[in-house]
Formats: sequence, structure tokens, C-alpha cells
Amino acid sequence: MNRLRGSVKWKQQAVSWLIMLPGISLFAFFLWGPLLQGARMSLYRTRNIELVEFVGFDNYISVFRRHEFLQALGNTFTYTFWSLLIGFLIPIFLALLIGETVRGKGFIRTAAYVPNVLPGLAAVLLWSAFFSAERAGVVNILLGRLGMEPMAFLSEEHLVIPIIVVIATWKGAGATALIYMAGLAGINPQLYESATIDGAGIWKRIRHITLPAIFNLGSTLLILQIISIFQIMYEPLVLTKGGPDNASLSLMLLMWRYAFGGTMDYGRASAVAMIIAIILLGFTALYSVVNRRKIDWE
Amino acid sequence: MKTRTGIIRDFDSKTLGVKIGLMAVYAVCGLVVVVSLFPVFWVLMAGFKDLREYVSSTAILPETFNFSRYTGTWTQLNVVRNYINSFYAIAGSVVCSLFFNGLLAYGLAILKPRGYKTVGRLVMASLLIPATMSLVPLFINIQRLNMGGFFTPLWLAAGASAFTVILFRQFFESLPLSIIEAGRIDGCSQLQTFFKIVMPLSKPICVVVTIFTINGVWSDFLLPYLVLGHGRWQTVMVRLFIFSTQQTINYDDLMRAVVFSMIPPIVLFFVFQKKLTENIVTVGIKG
Amino acid sequence: MKKRVRLLAVLAALTMLLTACATETTAPSPDSGGDPSPSPDTPPELGGISVDVIDADLTATITLGNWPPDTAPAAELALFEGYKATMAMQYPNVTIVPAYYSYTLSNYIGMARGGTAPTLFQPPFTDPQLLIGQDLVADVTDALGQFGILDKFSPAFIDLLGDENGRIYGLPRDGYVLGMHININLFEEAGLMDDNGLPMYPKTLQELAETGQIIRERTGKAGLVFPASETYGGWLYTNIAWNFGAVGENALLKQDADGRWLVDFTSEPAVAAMEYLKSLRWEYNILNADATTTDWASAHTLLGTGEAAMNFAADDSVDQPTAGKGLPVDKFALIPIPAGPGGAYALTGGTCYMFAPDTTNEQAMATLGFLKLIGMLPFADDDAIASMRAGAASKRERGEPVLPPIPAWNDDVFITAQRDIAEEYSNVDWRLYQDFFNSFTDGTITLKGEEPVLAQQLYRELTAVIQRVITREDADVLSALQRAQNNFQEDVDDIINR
Repeated sequence: MNRLRGSVKWKQQAVSWLIMLPGISLFAFFLWGPLLQGARMSLYRTRNIELVEFVGFDNYISVFRRHEFLQALGNTFTYTFWSLLIGFLIPIFLALLIGETVRGKGFIRTAAYVPNVLPGLAAVLLWSAFFSAERAGVVNILLGRLGMEPMAFLSEEHLVIPIIVVIATWKGAGATALIYMAGLAGINPQLYESATIDGAGIWKRIRHITLPAIFNLGSTLLILQIISIFQIMYEPLVLTKGGPDNASLSLMLLMWRYAFGGTMDYGRASAVAMIIAIILLGFTALYSVVNRRKIDWE
Repeated sequence: MKTRTGIIRDFDSKTLGVKIGLMAVYAVCGLVVVVSLFPVFWVLMAGFKDLREYVSSTAILPETFNFSRYTGTWTQLNVVRNYINSFYAIAGSVVCSLFFNGLLAYGLAILKPRGYKTVGRLVMASLLIPATMSLVPLFINIQRLNMGGFFTPLWLAAGASAFTVILFRQFFESLPLSIIEAGRIDGCSQLQTFFKIVMPLSKPICVVVTIFTINGVWSDFLLPYLVLGHGRWQTVMVRLFIFSTQQTINYDDLMRAVVFSMIPPIVLFFVFQKKLTENIVTVGIKG
Repeated sequence: MKKRVRLLAVLAALTMLLTACATETTAPSPDSGGDPSPSPDTPPELGGISVDVIDADLTATITLGNWPPDTAPAAELALFEGYKATMAMQYPNVTIVPAYYSYTLSNYIGMARGGTAPTLFQPPFTDPQLLIGQDLVADVTDALGQFGILDKFSPAFIDLLGDENGRIYGLPRDGYVLGMHININLFEEAGLMDDNGLPMYPKTLQELAETGQIIRERTGKAGLVFPASETYGGWLYTNIAWNFGAVGENALLKQDADGRWLVDFTSEPAVAAMEYLKSLRWEYNILNADATTTDWASAHTLLGTGEAAMNFAADDSVDQPTAGKGLPVDKFALIPIPAGPGGAYALTGGTCYMFAPDTTNEQAMATLGFLKLIGMLPFADDDAIASMRAGAASKRERGEPVLPPIPAWNDDVFITAQRDIAEEYSNVDWRLYQDFFNSFTDGTITLKGEEPVLAQQLYRELTAVIQRVITREDADVLSALQRAQNNFQEDVDDIINR
């Protein structure tokens, strides 16, 4: 608007900034400030919350020497892999499938969205009862009715991460599918008609019309998904505490463990937090390079 | 009869292959419905069991539908008090979220004073900062200002939501500038324009933000746990979190507590279901 | 090293107290747990407490973190409400805010910093020095002096709860000794009862494996519930390793001539102990299915509901499987920890009372008044006796074994009073407990404190190893222990040996 006027009075500028000031201060207090404090803390040896002495990158070096950090780093990428395989694709499938239904569409959509409104902690507590290996573990009961042997799901080092991803997907897929459905609804129906006239079958229509139409949406949701899976913490915290033998330990949970796990090692915890932030920045950069277009940074 | 709006068109649905395909679609959708709803149904049933039955029985349904187990846990945990506390937390958070994030987005989308882009970038970058990452320093700051033990930090934290600012901003940018200009010509100040013109035009986005805030505040427990602790203002989720980590916990009680924590969001969802899905769809298109 | 000395002193004091207590104790006769008389809602035992005003001027508001959780049995809550009412008469200007608080180091730090910590809370003996060193607890020396109990501290507790200037920051509550909880129902079902109707419980770790196997075969239930999540498994492992001989020159942690701490998880006994745990899963198959996610609450639940027959647990949690999870008190037994090829040790530790950092002298005085009222201070006057009776009656009422407490104060009169009351209100067949209580007085078992430095990290490392060997049949015990040893040695070098 100021641009429309050519010359803008300084007073108007000041008032604009004043209007934004409350919001900016809250961001500074709740997000930016703590982040800077955390960055600073990662360079210090800490005792409780006090910074004792500047140690340069010692915390980072010591973190990289820890095998649980290397495990957590690897696990976090495993989380990402499974989350792309399960968590990213399922909502797209779901959106396509629901889009094909006529009768009961609203009901299916609503049902798929219900897990999303449940509080995360409640959902994880619920699922921990499902995947329990003790007598009352629900999944094992159901498997037993199908004549299958019970399994100790959360004790299997190769199963535990996919299971956590499945739980997270269960909770989030309905909501994400809804966003895709909005994208699908925006496709001009005439495109399908004319493609059909040109002899395109159903698969061709999906490949050449549907998927390209949600490509941009998908790539944005992809990066958001990676960011969120990188922060996975309370799911493994409640379900497994990172076990068995750190097989489900994520970077974020490791940070929590260093900070609140009884040792109060805030220096190391901050170092881990910074490493997560750097990796996420790397992903975003990679994304914008690959996509040949910056995401809307303004 | 409704017409097909998906990839498969009415003129397709004649061939056998397509018919089978459609049946498969419905079968999978049926499975989706079951998988989505069964855990919720299960926990409702589990709440009717006592500890021994909960631990030892492999039946999904309880032996008896004994409501007194629910009411017992309800009074024992004093859930009403926690519900009321959660309501306070939500009410203040919604106000703060609409007001502070809205104003900031208004500045970024419409006022655009010199240098606004820097702020915009910082807000975008905040999306990348895991909230839990800054938990420790944030907590220290809250204590230094002596704001612990009451909702104030939680309310204000709702006013610093990057996601909300971005939602508002995208919506505001889509508003026709001419209307806003007209308001200015009528002599509205910048602040008056926001309240009298921009906000009334932004009802759909306000609804979405409100719903997201309600859902988020109801579910959040880490910062509330650190801020409210074991004091008298603890919310439902803080209570559930503390309860779930107690060494004296009984798992049947825990499942009932889980049910109590799910009921309000589910009820709310079904009341506002239509609005919610519609609005997410409209917002989704923009996003 | 000062820390080492202090811990040894504590252990010595604790051992002395335990021994003193138990040698004086002639075990209550089996029939003393006869018919518990029905109690009305408010404990009649509290009726005898004087309601005279003790201090009308003392004005303070205290939040009591030792309050029972609101999920506690009604009888226990009623008891505390009774205490509260009595306090209101004895100290009319003291306001009590009940605040159940389950202490952990990590949640406490935040609350102490934020000023939301309860006035009174209950950390284990492992934490006071850390809290004192970081100024996270209040100095209550003056209040203890005014209350006249400073001289009843044994020197070891002054060391444990004080700083180098002789200031005191807390007081002892009780001690515990690790043993095993037994679900007698499953022993009966498996035909493991002797002619006297007592369970034939395992005396050695080898017998534990075999007994568990019999129970598994005959009942289909787990022989042993083993909480192997987070840090619990490592905690139990240390005790098992001691019994395999990981003490002295084979200790998990030892100091060299320069005072440097060395980690040794790969000694022969340490490896044998881990091989033993591995065999419990893969050879004897007696563990509960979900050991890697089992914590205390689920361990007590599985034992109490009859899904598991044995559980490593201490005398201070006998209320959990019984009153908490519904196991009738006559189907429960507490036995000594089974001996191993390298000896018979039992882990011992305890709990103390400490105060939020901002506690004023008035608050400390009022809190001590409350502790006196509930019989936790070494006073054996009528009021205290009445309170102890109320406590014992309440335990009996809710179906929790009434046992002689392991005492915390150096005061014969007080200890005798506690013991007599436990006897009077006993609701248990003493034969199901006497081996446990006798084992550490007759020398069959040696009491031993926790590993001396960085215990929590040590437990965490060892728990990871346990999780590995009980989830992978092909896991190599030695290399897993070697890895944990290297990792933990780095921690020790970083934090202790620097």
C-alpha cells in the first residue's frame, strides 16, 4: 500500500511498525531469543542452567564421539525414510480413493479425519496398549484370531521405527488427505473429459493429469513432513523411551535425554538441537535447489 | 444420483474392470474407516474394564458395562477441574492467537513498512525451529520474569505462531486492496482498518485459526507441564501426562483418563465438522 | 575421595540402623495378623491426638509434596485429610496445600528454578549432594535445631544431607532393601508349595531360572517380570552382577591409585551376569513378553494381577502389587534376593525429605510440625504414637502389608515404638517375610549401596545392553558390554575424571 502512494510519511511507517511490534516481541521472546540462547549454550560447558566456561566446539565433538548420537542420527534418517514411504504416500492414496467414492464420501472423509482431532499424547498411550506384547496387547489379540503367533513389536529393533511412523501416520493422514482433496477438487473436469476423448485410460489420466496437478502441493507437504518427522520425540518417549538398545532413539529424544534425563547436560543438549537445525536448513536448501524455485521466503 | 467427480467418470463405470476397481476402492475405504475408528471404540470399551480384566482378558468387549468405573475415575481425578483449566488456557490462547498473529500478518501483508521482508523471512524460518528445541532457554526466561504457575506464558505463546501468521498473511494478501483503500479514504487509521475492515472480511481464516488453536492448546503438554507444573491450574493433558508417568498408576484408570481427554475434541469436531473440513479445503487450495 | 567416603559412611550408618532394628526385633508371631477390626472413615486412632494449639503465631503456607496422589486409596486420603484437620488445630495459622509430587531429578530442577517446587519433597539418597551443590534446596539447619532433632542425626546423614560448612538441607525418611516380590497364586498353581503351605521360593539365581521355567510351563505365565526400560534394567543388573562377583577388584566401577574412576563391564562376573540375563530370555524363557518397555508400574501390575510370578522389588513398594493392583495380602510374599555364584548382596538405599529453595524458616518449622504429626520424626510421644497407629491401621484397611519400617533415625525409643505398632497391626503371615528381614541381620546377605558415580548414566548404558541381549538371540554379550564400557568410561572421564 505504501508503494501505491509513492512517498510515505515516516509517521505511517512508525505506526505500521508499532502495530507489528507486539507480535514481533512475542516471536522474539518465545522463538528467536531462546534459539540464540541455545546456540550460545551449545558452546559452553554448563552447570545446571549456568554457563560455566566457553569451550568452543567441544560439546559438538563430544556429541559426535558418542555412539548413541550416531545411532540417533541414523535412526532419524530411518524415521524419515519410513515416513516418506508410509506417511507421505498414504495421504495421497487416501485422497485419490476418497475422491473416487460417491456414496458415503462425507462419512469416509470424516472417519479418516477423526484420529487427527485426538490429543497426541492420548493417541500414543492408546497405541502403546495396542502394540503391547503382554496378554492384553490388542494387535496380538487380533493376530491371534487370524491364527498368527504373537509378536513383541516394540522389542524388535527393525520394527519399532516403522510402527511409530504408522502411529504418526494414523493420526495425521486424514488431515493431509483433506488438503490433497482440496487440490484435486481444483482440477478442471474438462481436462479429464478431453483426455478421455483423446483415448486416455484411467491410469493415463492419473499420470498425466491428476499427479501433475498436485505435484507442487505434494512437494510443499513433503518438506513440511520431513521437518516434522525430524522433530519426532514424544511418540518414542512414551512408547519405548528410545529402546530397545536405542533402536528408536531420535535426535530430538536424545536432546531431551541429555537435558532432562537426569544429567542436565544442557551444553550437549543444545549442541544436538543446533545439529538438528542445521540438517533441517540443509534439507530446505536442497529442496529449493532441486525445485528450481525458492519456497516463498517472504 | 450424484455424479462422479474423480478420475473415474460416469462414462467409465460401465466396464467390468472399472466396476471391480470401484469395489476395491470401497473395500479399501471401508478398511480406512475401520482402522481410523476402531482404536477409539476399543479404548471406550477398555474403560469399562477393571485392572485385572484389562490386563488379563483378551476380549475386546468388557464383561459388564459398568459406568461406575468411569464415574469413579472421573471424580477421583477431579476431571472437571482440569476441564475448566483447559478452557481457560484455550480461551486466552485463542484471543492472543487472533490478535497478535493477525496484527503481525496485517503488517506483513498489507501495511508493508520498510524492512518488513526481514520480519517475514524470520517468521518463515521460525517454522523450521522445533518448538521443543528452545524449550530449555524459553523456560529459563519465563522463570526469570516470574511468570510460572499461571496461564500467561501459554496465552502469549499462542501469539507467536509462525504457522498462524502465514495463514493470516496468505489470506490477507488475497483480500481486494480496493476495499482496504476505501476504508483508508474514509479516514480509518491503520489500526481501525484492521479491526473494522480486514478482520470482518477474514472470518473463514479466523475460524480455521480458532479451531487449530483450540486443538493445539488442548493437546499440548510439554510447555504447559513446565509452566503449570503440579499446581492448581494444570490442564487435562498436563494431568494425563503426570498421571501416565506415576509409579502408582493403574492402567484401567489411565485408559479412562485417555477417554476423558478425547471426548471434548471429538464432540467439538462433530459440532464444527462441516465448517472445519470446508475451511481447510479453502485454505488448503491457497496453501 | 570425599564422595566415596561419604557414600561409605551412609551405607555403614544404614547397615547399622537396619541391623540394630532387626536384632532388637523379635519377629511378630504368625498369628498376630489376626482379624483386622473394621475401621470407620476417619481413622479412630487419630482421635487420641491432642488438638491443643502448639504454635498460634507460626504463619506459613506450605505445599506438601508427600501428599498421596488423588488416585490413592480412599483410606489413605482420608488419613491425610485427618492430619490436615489436626494441623489446622495445632497450628491455626498454617495453611496446608496438598500437592502430590512424584520426584524425579529432571522434573524437580525445572520446578525449583521456577519457584513451583513444593515446600516438601522426597528425593532418593542419590540426589541430595547434587541438589545442595546447585543451590536447589533450602538450608533448614536452624529449623531442625529449634525443633530439637539436630542431635538425633547420625553423622552419616549429616554427611549425606549437609554441605562442607555443616549446614543441613534435609532429613532422612526411610531406607529400603532390594528383594523379590512373589505372587503366591502362581506358585500354588505350579505346585511349588511346601508342606507348611509356604512357597518354595528360589534361593539362588540358578534356582530362580528353574523355578521360573516351571511356572512358565505349568501356568503359561511369566516366571519373572523384568523391567528393562530406560534405566531400571541396569539398576537391577548391578545387583545381579554383584552376586556373580562383580565386587572388589571386579567391581563395575573402581578407582585406580590416582583416584581416577575406571569402568569395568567386561570382567568375568559382569559378563557372566549378562549371559545369565540373556539365558533367562533365550534358554529358560521366563521373562515377561514386553520387558524392554516395562517400568515399575507395569512390573507391579503384572505381578499383582497374576501375569508374572516374581519381581525384583524392595520392601518399600509392597503396597503396589497388593493394595495398588489387587493382589490379596495373604497371596503375597517378600523374599531375599537370590544369591549368585559370587556372593549374596542386596542393594540398599533410601529416601529423604528436602525443601524447596525458597522455603522460609516459618515454612520449615510448619513442615517439621507436620512431619512430627505423621510420625516421621523421632518423637515417641502420644501424638506421634497415635499417628503411627493411624498409619498402620490405614495400611491394614487398604490391604497393604503392615511391616516394620526400615528406620532412618538414631533413636532406640522411636524405633521400638515403630516396631511394636507394626506388630500390633500386622495383617501378614510373618513367615512370608521373615527370611527377607532376617537375611540382612544374620549375615546371609550383605547390604550394598548403589554404584558410586554417575549411577543413572551407568544404568542407562547397561539397560541398553540388556535390551540388546534379550531382544536378539545372536547378540554378542561381550562386545555389547565392551561398547557400553567405552561409552560410559568417556562419560566418567568427561564429568568425573577431568
